[in-house]
Amino acid sequence: MSEHKAKKQPAEPKSFGWMAEYEDENQLLDASRKVRDSGYTRTDAFTPFPVHGIDEALGIKPTVLPWFTLCAGATGTTVALLMQWYLNAVDYPYIISGKPFASWPAFIPVTFELTVLFGAFTTVFAMLGLNGLPRFSNPVFTNPKFDRATDDRFFLWVDSRDKYFNSDKVKHLLQESGAIDVEEVREDDSPTQVPRFILTTILTLILITLIPGAIVLNMRNSKSGSSRWQVFFDMDFQPKRKTQTRTTLFADGRVQRPPVPGTIAVGELELSDPYYLGYDPDQVAANELPIASGDSRLVSFQEDDGQEADAADQGDGQPASAQDESEGAEDQPAAAQPDAAQPDAMAAGEPNYAWLTELPEEANEELFQLGKQEFEQNCAVCHGFGGYGDGLVSQRALNLNQGYWLQPTSLHDDRIQKQPVGRIYYTITNGKGKMGGYAASLKPKERWAVVLYVRALQRSQNAKAEDVPEGTQLEAAAP
Amino acid sequence: MASNIPNDNLTLPAKWRGLAPVLVATGVICVLVSLGLCYFAGSADDRTAGVRVFFHSYLANYVYCLSICLGALFFVMVQHLARAGWSASIRRIAELFAYTLPWWALLFLPILVMVLFTNTGVLYPWNVGPGQGLEPIVESKLSYLQPSWFTLRVVIYFAVWIIAARLYFRMSRQQDDSGDTEITLKLQRWSGPFIIMYALSLNFGAFDIMMSTDPAWFSTIYGVYLFAASMLSFFAALILTCYMLQKSGRIEKLVTTEHYQDMSKFQFGFIVFWGYIAFSQFLLYWYGNIPEETLWYKHRMEHGWQYVGLLLIACHFVIPFLGTMSRHVRRNRSAMAFWAVFILCVHWLDLMFLIMPHETIPVSLMMIVAHLVCWVGMVTLFLAFFLTRVGETPVVAVKDPWLPDALAYQVGP
Repeated sequence: MSEHKAKKQPAEPKSFGWMAEYEDENQLLDASRKVRDSGYTRTDAFTPFPVHGIDEALGIKPTVLPWFTLCAGATGTTVALLMQWYLNAVDYPYIISGKPFASWPAFIPVTFELTVLFGAFTTVFAMLGLNGLPRFSNPVFTNPKFDRATDDRFFLWVDSRDKYFNSDKVKHLLQESGAIDVEEVREDDSPTQVPRFILTTILTLILITLIPGAIVLNMRNSKSGSSRWQVFFDMDFQPKRKTQTRTTLFADGRVQRPPVPGTIAVGELELSDPYYLGYDPDQVAANELPIASGDSRLVSFQEDDGQEADAADQGDGQPASAQDESEGAEDQPAAAQPDAAQPDAMAAGEPNYAWLTELPEEANEELFQLGKQEFEQNCAVCHGFGGYGDGLVSQRALNLNQGYWLQPTSLHDDRIQKQPVGRIYYTITNGKGKMGGYAASLKPKERWAVVLYVRALQRSQNAKAEDVPEGTQLEAAAP
Repeated sequence: MASNIPNDNLTLPAKWRGLAPVLVATGVICVLVSLGLCYFAGSADDRTAGVRVFFHSYLANYVYCLSICLGALFFVMVQHLARAGWSASIRRIAELFAYTLPWWALLFLPILVMVLFTNTGVLYPWNVGPGQGLEPIVESKLSYLQPSWFTLRVVIYFAVWIIAARLYFRMSRQQDDSGDTEITLKLQRWSGPFIIMYALSLNFGAFDIMMSTDPAWFSTIYGVYLFAASMLSFFAALILTCYMLQKSGRIEKLVTTEHYQDMSKFQFGFIVFWGYIAFSQFLLYWYGNIPEETLWYKHRMEHGWQYVGLLLIACHFVIPFLGTMSRHVRRNRSAMAFWAVFILCVHWLDLMFLIMPHETIPVSLMMIVAHLVCWVGMVTLFLAFFLTRVGETPVVAVKDPWLPDALAYQVGP
């Protein structure tokens, strides 16, 4: 060993340990046991495939890694439970489907996920840490023979940092152990400096990534007199007219063209038909004028409003028939009805439209049953089955003493009773206050059915003596 | 290869086998005593109440044993399906468990006869004959839940299980003499189709036999729940059987610590799987909060059953999860025998929780005693069946081509 040293250059690198090479895993296992029994602990084996029993043969102690996993997993469980409890029950309590704020069953999936996440990440990083990784190079790689560790050779390694390391003794022990080759591994004396070209490349890349930012910064902080650079000129300046501009193409000079009289654009029937709206839109302006006096809003560009409304009604089969039934209502009440509701409505800042005062659907048993079903499915949870605003959701919210909970309106309020059917329909469609609109859940016919049912509820809860059918009055009064 | 196989003692002591008739008698007496206890514990006005309790108790304890056998059958088939080598030395015990299934078919007869020839609905409320004013939701299921069709289905389930159990036991037994590796290949080929049939029959069997005791309720995960519980209890039974056999000086070299660790890992895995399935079922119903779905849980949240539910969370999941997590515990045979017994006890509690709670079934001390006596009876019968099945059969498939692999098998760190 000493003569070996003398032959090489004077700055002989330090010994890093001894590496023995074996032809099969049984020789390796035997040798490992010998090395272990000689008291060496800083040893390792390198094999092309996992060798059963190598841990025991090398005397490797069970890893502490599982403890990291266990502790991290327990931390994950605790963090997840505390976090969800704090968020849902303390910091931002919010009723979700009527469950208690601290709903432990709902916390379990997230808890499971965080437990696994914490456990898995900690295991990976602790494994890297315990193995001293990442490490870019190891002196054992300097020996080209070692490449066969991934192919067909088995290597045993004794580290020079072992407590009992003695270079000659180790060499002797390994030679005795049936190794086909024993070689000393020396500390890697190649320069530890990072090669110049790598540094240059990294620096260049960093500089290049700074360029776009620098350009943006420059643009934002400088002024220029020249006009913008048009990359795609014909996209920036297209041969078309923008809305709200003038043209010489049409006699009236407007770019936007009004619909041809007597037509309704696809999908716009619902925007214009009283059946869908609950009010007659053509009457709106007239009613709104007293509210917004001096409003310069253009009512209509159409030459003949009445004509168009009639045409619209005839254009579609279903609403037309509905319209027929409510025709009487539409003709007269537009002027008469708002008078009654106007003071209240105006006071509350509510829309003041020409509400339909009669149901545009035939009020029959079938419609009533439909209304009852939809009311009980959609409305009763808040408004209550009797319509008194005492539904289960409301009861629960009141029990929780939620300061921000407003009890739903009782449908038997004087105010609601006085509302025309169109107004109730409008509320169902668009919602009011905390109540959301039901246009997405209920078709117009179903909404009208609910209106009918609400009317029936109001009638039933506020019955007067004259509501009792003739002939049964006396019997009813007797008890 | 055969020379590498250590020379273990592979047959049961003759003394054990002689116990079988005594055990059968004891088991039958226990079940009858339980019937008497239930009958007299029920109210004197309504004697059917006692009979109702007894049939529920019988079903729960019956499924307790049946589930272990079904778990064993699946284990045998899945080992063949995966061409597993490690399990060759413990597979015979599972084959023997599964091969007691014909007797379990026999023990289902009381229930089947009751369904076919009476219409009191003591166990299955749908079995009351037409026009009995059942809830609409049950009424709508009556075309499926109908005594003759029910019987036919149960016969099909048992046919599938018995044919599979018989095939796997008989063929494996043939190999003991011939050592023919073709047999292993044949069993491997059959394992796929049989597992599909097994999965279907176990699922629908769970719906029919257990879930229809509360016919208004439904859970699509119910069969999987029973499967999880079956596998868990089977692995516990397997560990315990290996432990007992080794205690008596059998299979000392053929079943190694490595096998204990793997059986325990499977048991651990199915503890988690059971918890996952049981919680999934609960979470969805709790979230949806729809009366027809939550009623089943409501029955299990009153009359003391709520404590059983909490006990199950603790003892069927948390405690054994933490207890069998460590490698050192899994490689310790006595510790694992303890955990196996623990699992087998909570498995009983689980089945009680699945089947017993109902508004028409009162809970009293006498009833609990009756359930326990019935349990003892069923387990005694199970032991008797197992001992009879084993007879002279070696408890390891000695000429299985995988056996050398199983012996050389090491779990790794």
